[in-house]
Amino acid sequence: MFVARSIAADHKDLIHDVSFDFHGRRMATCSSDQSVKVWDKSESGDWHCTASWKTHSGSVWRVTWAHPEFGQVLASCSFDRTAAVWEEIVGESNDKLRGQSHWVKRTTLVDSRTSVTDVKFAPKHMGLMLATCSADGIVRIYEAPDVMNLSQWSLQHEISCKLSCSCISWNPSSSRAHSPMIAVGSDDSSPNAMAKVQIFEYNENTRKYAKAETLMTVTDPVHDIAFAPNLGRSFHILAIATKDVRIFTLKPVRKELTSSGGPTKFEIHIVAQFDNHNSQVWRVSWNITGTVLASSGDDGCVRLWKGSTIPSLQNSLNGSSAGRYFFTPLDSPRAGSRWSSYAQLLPPPPPPLVEHSCDADTANLQYPHPRRRYLSRPLNPLPENEGI
Amino acid sequence: MEKMSRVTTALGGSVLTGRTMHCHLDAPANAISVCRDAAQVVVAGRSIFKIYAIEEEQFVEKLNLRVGRKPSLNLSCADVVWHQMDENLLATAATNGVVVTWNLGRPSRNKQDQLFTEHKRTVNKVCFHPTEAHVLLSGSQDGFMKCFDLRRKDSVSTFSGQSESVRDVQFSIRDYFTFASTFENGNVQLWDIRRPDRCERMFTAHNGPVFCCDWHPEDRGWLATGGRDKMVKVWDMTTHRAKEMHCVQTIASVARVKWRPECRHHLATCSMMVDHNIYVWDVRRPFVPAAMFEEHRDVTTGIAWRHPHDPSFLLSGSKDSSLCQHLFRDASQPVERANPEGLCYGLFGDLAFAAKESLVAAESGRKPYTGDRRHPIFFKRKLDPAEPFAGLASSALSVFETEPGGGGMRWFVDTAERYALAGRPLAELCDHNAKVARELGRNQVAQTWTMLRIIYCSPGLVPTANLNHSVGKGGSCGLPLMNSFNLKDMAPGLGSETRLDRSKGDARSDTVLLDSSATLITNEDNEETEGSDVPADYLLGDVEGEEDELYLLDPEHAHPEDPECVLPQEAFPLRHEIVDTPPGPEHLQDKADSPHVSGSEADVASLAPVDSSFSLLSVSHALYDSRLPPDFFGVLVRDMLHFYAEQGDVQMAVSVLIVLGERVRKDIDEQTQEHWYTSYIDLLQRFRLWNVSNEVVKLSTSRAVSCLNQASTTLHVNCSHCKRPMSSRGWVCDRCHRCASMCAVCHHVVKGLFVWCQGCSHGGHLQHIMKWLEGSSHCPAGCGHLCEYS
Repeated sequence: MFVARSIAADHKDLIHDVSFDFHGRRMATCSSDQSVKVWDKSESGDWHCTASWKTHSGSVWRVTWAHPEFGQVLASCSFDRTAAVWEEIVGESNDKLRGQSHWVKRTTLVDSRTSVTDVKFAPKHMGLMLATCSADGIVRIYEAPDVMNLSQWSLQHEISCKLSCSCISWNPSSSRAHSPMIAVGSDDSSPNAMAKVQIFEYNENTRKYAKAETLMTVTDPVHDIAFAPNLGRSFHILAIATKDVRIFTLKPVRKELTSSGGPTKFEIHIVAQFDNHNSQVWRVSWNITGTVLASSGDDGCVRLWKGSTIPSLQNSLNGSSAGRYFFTPLDSPRAGSRWSSYAQLLPPPPPPLVEHSCDADTANLQYPHPRRRYLSRPLNPLPENEGI
Repeated sequence: MEKMSRVTTALGGSVLTGRTMHCHLDAPANAISVCRDAAQVVVAGRSIFKIYAIEEEQFVEKLNLRVGRKPSLNLSCADVVWHQMDENLLATAATNGVVVTWNLGRPSRNKQDQLFTEHKRTVNKVCFHPTEAHVLLSGSQDGFMKCFDLRRKDSVSTFSGQSESVRDVQFSIRDYFTFASTFENGNVQLWDIRRPDRCERMFTAHNGPVFCCDWHPEDRGWLATGGRDKMVKVWDMTTHRAKEMHCVQTIASVARVKWRPECRHHLATCSMMVDHNIYVWDVRRPFVPAAMFEEHRDVTTGIAWRHPHDPSFLLSGSKDSSLCQHLFRDASQPVERANPEGLCYGLFGDLAFAAKESLVAAESGRKPYTGDRRHPIFFKRKLDPAEPFAGLASSALSVFETEPGGGGMRWFVDTAERYALAGRPLAELCDHNAKVARELGRNQVAQTWTMLRIIYCSPGLVPTANLNHSVGKGGSCGLPLMNSFNLKDMAPGLGSETRLDRSKGDARSDTVLLDSSATLITNEDNEETEGSDVPADYLLGDVEGEEDELYLLDPEHAHPEDPECVLPQEAFPLRHEIVDTPPGPEHLQDKADSPHVSGSEADVASLAPVDSSFSLLSVSHALYDSRLPPDFFGVLVRDMLHFYAEQGDVQMAVSVLIVLGERVRKDIDEQTQEHWYTSYIDLLQRFRLWNVSNEVVKLSTSRAVSCLNQASTTLHVNCSHCKRPMSSRGWVCDRCHRCASMCAVCHHVVKGLFVWCQGCSHGGHLQHIMKWLEGSSHCPAGCGHLCEYS
């Protein structure tokens, strides 16, 4: 089902983040070597590096794209305690002839006193906003009042989380019924167990972000957090990368039932919990419809999780795309959920130390999991963890 | 805290014991220096000059060297150094340019020994010769370096850097006569102490001031320099030209740099401003610090390794008026917390994945066929165990792409492009969309469209039902499309043949229909049956029965007892019993009256039970019998739409919403509708389906949505001839009275889509320009511009 295409990234240190743009045709990578690279997909499907520049004076932890309505805009955040906003300049320059584009720094956000660990643009309907979080436990929300002027950002909110923050995620829902919401994860590793995921919601009355929920069950360091694309759902799905993969649903309790003006109450259910990585999970990422979750961990594998049903919601989370369903009754007995792993991906082995090849290394592709060939036997309960 | 633990190291004769600790000073420190016995540390600052004893658990103040009533500027220290040979000898550099030496062996309270007032401005640095007891070197803001012999009252020699202020001077540890000095203009000079007339060597090391330098304790000729350009550079001075060997990038200007004892590639740095932390770097990994000490609340001004042969104790003084002992073991390690992986799901189901190579390599290392080739390389690289180094970390980046047809989001794009949403009778729209869905293998969706048609189109208007059925069959069982249309074209009288064909289709469609049956189960919330094949088969019957029903009843009320319809009976006896005795409408009425407000899927299930005596089929049958009003199904359809939305298929929800229009709109609250619309439009725009997105915007009834394509639609243009702004109306320019939007190729006025080059403002019909640009890149108007179209 998947063809692996290995790319000679040529970063001089670890790559910490990859990010596709809104249309999925561009990709940005950031690395400890203080640089960001932008990759464009050619007609033939190859990825070409069209820009590479030094962005910070420390490790760049995260890079993220703004909605293209605001231009070709990237934000990056770094160990050097800053976050920066970058814009691609179009013009008749010599760079273009070499297939390179030019990115200029529009602003540097210097409010943090410690490493800025994540940066995320808010959903488009909120305007041009971005949130950063830092190791000192403060989430900052900035807004560019004039979307044409990317060099002016005003600090709108500072939310103190009391814990060193590692990741944030905006709730992408565009519904008017859902107030702006942001989930924050902490990788604080101090032994006193505290809940590591907090959810803040914007309160229209006080015009402030207030804590709406704390996921008390998540007490291990959280490395990544991601709301699923909402796509008209009345509830929210939140994936968390900690020592395992966890998926929560947050269903807003009807406003009428809660005291008006206060924060929205949520019915929170854990719908899945997978420890198949057998190690720290570093990243989680949703597909565009919020039906498949990809996770990657210290085991070097990418695993895909596909929901079939969330019993608590009496709903199916099947991707109707596939129309194929796997039912592994033994899967994840703890959560009793119907999410199952349906693919496990291994990147092709790194190219030989000297030569870097851009070609898809299909010959070396490994198919560690029979489930990837599920088309032939769609309903067979497949053993978990086979082979690996 | 975990930092309470103590560490003990034995070094030759002496033993070092200690833990991470700090003590409060009365004033900010400017510099610190450690006694050679590693048991005392001197702290000097503008208003502090004290010696502390380093004990196991704490610092103990031992001696205050600031004596006398009136504070003297001579005591305002910029730097302090403890002689590495003589435990009683110290030197300080004062901000007023005085160099003072102190003899702790003096019996009086005042330990001041000698005073050299030769520099005119602040002395930035003092340095004792590593092996010579009486030689002291100073470097000052006035640009001079002076060498003192402590046995004499004046300087022995003066070195003029011929450039700006001296920031640091350091005797080479190995070369007796050599010292290095760094300057504010970015230069580093190497001097021979015997030759004050000119420097041995000079090179530009940094961009901006070089604040510090440090000779490697073991490697002769390795010099580390740190500057305001936030870099630490390691130079090999043994070669003819100073060669840059490593370059470490820190996050702030580098104020101090100190090689870590016993670790060949480690050095500690602290910053002059902004950053209060102390970092220890492995120069081979220049971007990520190996360790980080975060104790200080203000700028760290002095760092010193406690013992020249012990790598674990680091002492530091800071502007926050504290003195710290750091244990290397307690340092936070940014490398450990750094995320080694990046992962992102792409739009088309492709995954970008970057992972630390060692993670991936470890995985592939387990595979026998890759292990043998790679391992020797790794072992070769391995360094001495005293200093483990994993090699330069790097990541492998790869993109997992979905194979064409192997998933991805192609179905979404196809569906969006091919669905018909308006402009035709409802029945046709439903049929068309059902057909599209079936062709894309989305049976559940197709089924839904079919049901919608049945629900909302009265039986009198369904001559196309045959089409619906046969096309549906064609899609699901893989019959050629042509065949299906043939079926449709056949007269009802030829039904027998048709049905024969159909039954064959049934037989063939068994496996394919499995999907739709499975989804139906889901629909009915019957989880128990999902896993096994048997119930699926049974439900397959359900589906078939349903279709039979449609087939038989919809088009031809005239022949309900047609012999052919018995044909499938053998397989589904139960179903046909139901057909024969359709449940009375009053039963249905009960159902309709029963509370549906909960909105749960149970409602759907209630109408499509597994084992009860009536099904959706019979509902549709009953519908025609009893002529129920279409809004009888409003609740059902509403729940169906919610179901699709909740499972992430907002496309279906919006499409149905548009197609059914007023029939369901009132059942769903405005806000939800708007939410669906905006979500779907956002999704369409992601896939660059601008036309579809615009159509959806246009067809939406939600005010907030339909104004989406009304915003910022004004375009201000200039006349292509006289370059003046065009008036807001008309095709003719007000000034030059010529038609502005002429096609440069065909010389006709362009009405409609007009493309033009933003550089020279010439353009024309899209087709013409495209054709022109195939042959030439110059402007077709002949203006000589190399036109750019994006």
